Amino acid sequence: MVKRTMVFSAAVLAVAVLVAGCGGSNKKSSSTTTAAAGGKGGTFISVANTAPSGSPDPQVNYTLQEWQLLILSHDGLVAFKRVGGAAGGAKVPDLAESIPKPTNGGKTYAFTLRSGIKFSNGQTLTGKDVKATFERLFKIKQSPNAGAWYSVIEGGDACVKSPTTCDLSKGVVVNGNTVTFHLSQPDPEFLDQLAVPFAFILPASTPDQLVNIPPPGTGPYKWVQYAPTKQIKLVRNPYFKEWSKDAQPAGNPDEIIQKFGLSVEAEVTAVENNSADWMFDPPPADRLNELGTTYKDRVHVNPLTAIYYFAFNVREKPFDNLKARQAVNFATDRNALVKIGGGPKLAVPTCQILPPTFPGYEPYCPYTANPGSGKWTAPDMAKAKQLIAASGTKGMAVKVNTDTTDTNKALGLYFVGLLNKLGYKATLQALAANIQYPYVQNSSNHVQFAYSSWYQDYPAASDFLDILLGCGSFHPNSNSSPNIAEFCNKGIQSKMDQAANTGITNPTAANKQWAQVDKEVTDQAPWVAMYNPKLIDFLSSRVKGYLFSPQWYFLIDQASVK
Amino acid sequence: MAEFAFEPESDQVHLAPGETPREIEGKSPWQLAGRRLVRNRIAMASLGLFILIVVLCLLAPVYAHHIAHTDPFASNITGTTVVNGKRVEVIQQGGSGLGLGETPIGPTWQTNYLFGADNSGRDVMARTLYGGRNSLEIGVSSAVICCLIALVLGVIAGFFRGATDSILSRFMDLIWAFPVYLLAISLATVLLTKENGLQWGPIHISAASLWVTATIIALVYVPYVYRPVRGEVLSVREKEYVEASVSQGASNWRLMFSEILPNIITTVIVLLPLMIATTVLTESALSFLGIGVQPPQASWGTIIDDGQALLYTRPWVAILPGIFIVLTVLSLNVLGDGVRDALDPRAKVRARE
Amino acid sequence: MTAFIIRRLIGLVAVLFAISVLTFLIFFAIPGVDPSRQLAGRNPDPATIAAVKHQFGLDRPLPVRYVLMMKRLFISRDLVSYGNQALKVVPAIWAATPVTFSLVFGAAVIWIVFSILLGLLAVVFKGTFIDPLIMILALIGISMPVFWLGSVVNLITQSPNRSAIWSWVPPLGYVPFTQDPWQWFLHLILPWITLSILYIGFYARVLRSSLLDVQNEDYVRTARAKGLSPRGVLVRHMLRTSLITFVSLFGLDFGVLVGGGALLTEVVFALPGVGLLTFHSLQSLDLPVIMATVLYGAFFITIMNAIIDVVYARLDPRIRPA
Repeated sequence: MVKRTMVFSAAVLAVAVLVAGCGGSNKKSSSTTTAAAGGKGGTFISVANTAPSGSPDPQVNYTLQEWQLLILSHDGLVAFKRVGGAAGGAKVPDLAESIPKPTNGGKTYAFTLRSGIKFSNGQTLTGKDVKATFERLFKIKQSPNAGAWYSVIEGGDACVKSPTTCDLSKGVVVNGNTVTFHLSQPDPEFLDQLAVPFAFILPASTPDQLVNIPPPGTGPYKWVQYAPTKQIKLVRNPYFKEWSKDAQPAGNPDEIIQKFGLSVEAEVTAVENNSADWMFDPPPADRLNELGTTYKDRVHVNPLTAIYYFAFNVREKPFDNLKARQAVNFATDRNALVKIGGGPKLAVPTCQILPPTFPGYEPYCPYTANPGSGKWTAPDMAKAKQLIAASGTKGMAVKVNTDTTDTNKALGLYFVGLLNKLGYKATLQALAANIQYPYVQNSSNHVQFAYSSWYQDYPAASDFLDILLGCGSFHPNSNSSPNIAEFCNKGIQSKMDQAANTGITNPTAANKQWAQVDKEVTDQAPWVAMYNPKLIDFLSSRVKGYLFSPQWYFLIDQASVK
Repeated sequence: MAEFAFEPESDQVHLAPGETPREIEGKSPWQLAGRRLVRNRIAMASLGLFILIVVLCLLAPVYAHHIAHTDPFASNITGTTVVNGKRVEVIQQGGSGLGLGETPIGPTWQTNYLFGADNSGRDVMARTLYGGRNSLEIGVSSAVICCLIALVLGVIAGFFRGATDSILSRFMDLIWAFPVYLLAISLATVLLTKENGLQWGPIHISAASLWVTATIIALVYVPYVYRPVRGEVLSVREKEYVEASVSQGASNWRLMFSEILPNIITTVIVLLPLMIATTVLTESALSFLGIGVQPPQASWGTIIDDGQALLYTRPWVAILPGIFIVLTVLSLNVLGDGVRDALDPRAKVRARE
Repeated sequence: MTAFIIRRLIGLVAVLFAISVLTFLIFFAIPGVDPSRQLAGRNPDPATIAAVKHQFGLDRPLPVRYVLMMKRLFISRDLVSYGNQALKVVPAIWAATPVTFSLVFGAAVIWIVFSILLGLLAVVFKGTFIDPLIMILALIGISMPVFWLGSVVNLITQSPNRSAIWSWVPPLGYVPFTQDPWQWFLHLILPWITLSILYIGFYARVLRSSLLDVQNEDYVRTARAKGLSPRGVLVRHMLRTSLITFVSLFGLDFGVLVGGGALLTEVVFALPGVGLLTFHSLQSLDLPVIMATVLYGAFFITIMNAIIDVVYARLDPRIRPA
């Protein structure tokens, strides 16, 4: 789950400054980059309230804000197709010549690297760099992602234990430009994990410490400035030659800038009068109407594979009782929640875990008046009251936990009212956003009902179902336990494992199994699923060629500012 | 804000403008003060204004229930109300264009939603009145606590002087330099994240308690009141009748109570309305930043904060509580001036002792 | 005098030390605060959190951590924020300081000029309606919460529906003087006015009080007797004496503002000064930045306090040594 940084992160991802490497090479033709009008050159200026949080190191940073830029400067062996629309969820070979089929029972992937690809420092990419990149993942002292994501590589577990002496010679076998991965067990998501920035290939000479600016990469742009209080700047990589339009197209703008420090209101004003091309942060509620009317030609709204929800703690009273949880689900008026979320154009009500268009998604909503269509229509208060009475939990005290941002506070307030109406004694507990997130994950805080949200890492059903509701994702007494609901159902878990297994060989069949898991989990009501949000991209009038990918959202470098 | 001390020249009784010596003959100092205050029409008017605001806020439940017919605490997203005979939604979707965003209803200038709704659909006027209760409660109680603590410490420091005075004064410096925001944020977070609030023996402080905010604000301003009090005590201590009492063998406590206290009580009384004004402003600032009064409780500052997200579309949400604050603080300031003039028309302003 | 200065300096260091210890302790008393969790990134596994804890020395006893932090803050000056590891704390404060200084100096100039003007006017026209009018205006100025006033100013000048008179007002933010002096000025003029209104009111009243106080002093009457014009008396003698009080109060307020007390103005006008930095760091519980901003603020407040003590002691012949 790439958490979008909060209100402040309206980083104006520099309008994808397509820094198509036009430096040294001039073999590629400029017309193949985008179908839309607009040429190469210029500076794409984006604005954001704050810099991406966490370390700038590409193997550590887990923010959408930085990921949207890292894809412009770096490549993995595999990439998500860099196009707009549903096709953007497909995987294509990037640094590798082709995507291999796993052999040896799904444990071996043999890649052949393309030849002649250079980093922005002039060095040529070889298999040695790939091995060094994966070892570095474990070696950097703060590697939060290595263990969780890549320990499936043989030798990975040992590397987690003793990072400084990490040696992946068994797991990543290099022979010139051939790189073969050996996994300790089959993993249907391995290719997805190769396509996210954690696994983007860095030069072997990159130091094993956290860097303060992303190191040289193979993409069309390179990072030249990373000043968290001022701006980020990317310029064209002079050594870039486009090798695959699908995986890493040349970029349009010559420079991409992302400036920090403006308030979100000022960002909207800046884009309105064209002193900035794009803002990363979502526009504040009081400008939405204005954007939707006066500037509607420069506004793009796209659905996200993300979900906003309130998690029950299924191990604490009163919501250890299934009837109580289902009752709240029946009573919830998702129209009200949608209103809080900005209206039906910006939020789509949902009852289930998986978001629409996700692999394994089949519309399913039992918690509505007149269920059966799969869509939520209206709350069923009568049924809710019945269930509450049957549950015997009436009158219990409930703390509704949320964070202090306006929208989420309003959501919390709604539920306080609803729970009180149902006969509970509900109170609101609003914490600052980055305290709230770890706080609600820690079971020792005995949270009963808490707000959270989840955005996809990559399009795989397990990224929602297993990570958020799988037994293995619940770590008691830890600030890092993404299974906030503390949900663990043995029967459902084995179905999840089965679906994951099937996915290795037969993704279509696996999706059907995941759909079934989605239904069964939804029936257990570990959450009140609220809505799937939509994203607003507000552009200046000079930006042409807007493309929205379901994986990377606004493809910055594919737009043009000339 | 910087400090100022009042030093009434206690040896003489001065005439206020327009007073004749005959009028004041035979009256005790307090009677004199009271008389002068009552005759000060502007001060009386502002006292009236302050009382009016207090009464309005106390009547918040009456307003909400009987006049506005709204519940200012419950989320009312999908509610409707009747305006000019038509039923409208309290929160309406953006109409034209892309239809983005939802906007709460604006001022109806009628009894329901007089100044409109906030983004949870709650009546702004009713909430402002309820918020006023909290703001005033915190303001008055923290000012009183502050003055009491400062009085005690100031007397001790001024009376005993020497090491006691040094230590206390440096301690006051420390408090003055300490950032109130850090204290407020940490206390707010501690209370929110502890399950059942704090427990100190019989005292139970829940997260929703206003006492936390009141105490923080009181502590922060103790040095402000402490300095003039201490200065007063130092000066009174030098007076002859005190020395006389000392030579007569009076005990310290006796002295403090009978000689010193009555002379400095006027200092504190003059400062009290001004402190209330200051604490009301501080509470609104803390609440505006989100570290004062916590939801679901409201105060004028929290409502202004709520209004920030609606500033350009529904400005009244932010403006209305501010107007109340201005009127309250203004009336207290004018009253404070009047009290000072009444207690001694020649009271001087001095910066430090 | 030297002894006094030395004593005050020792006091300053003591205060800073006490505040830093207090800040440190308060921070760690806040439950749910886990710096290693913050540093470890988004969804780390528990083993990672433990590793980060060890790497950053967060599993060592508190006194050791305190000393380490102070060393990194003052000596090696490479203290790094918990929220973004590319952000060095000391440079961040240095970068924010000019913003706060610009805001406070500009406002101070405005409030000094206007409060002296208004205070003098009120005294000169005492007895007419002008005096109470000015005083009421001053009181209204004091009674407005600065963040509310700022919101109203923003509403009028920044709103998408603003009238054309305000088209010169740039969007919220700050432009460094070295980059573009005119834009620097435009961005700051409204925050200056907003911040100074509060203080104009207060200082006009203080000055008026002082002037009236002084009016009946012997030396003033002597000057009049000698034939000096009322205006001459006002400026030459009364103003000079009254300014003593004025200056000492000013010093204290200025110290508080520069030390981060202009936080509300910075928040409302989105000026990236020390106040805003403090506020963001408090909200995200970023201890290194909190520590640095708290000490920065305490330093300024305490030092202004000490300077004013010295200045006042020298200037005011009536002062009784404390």
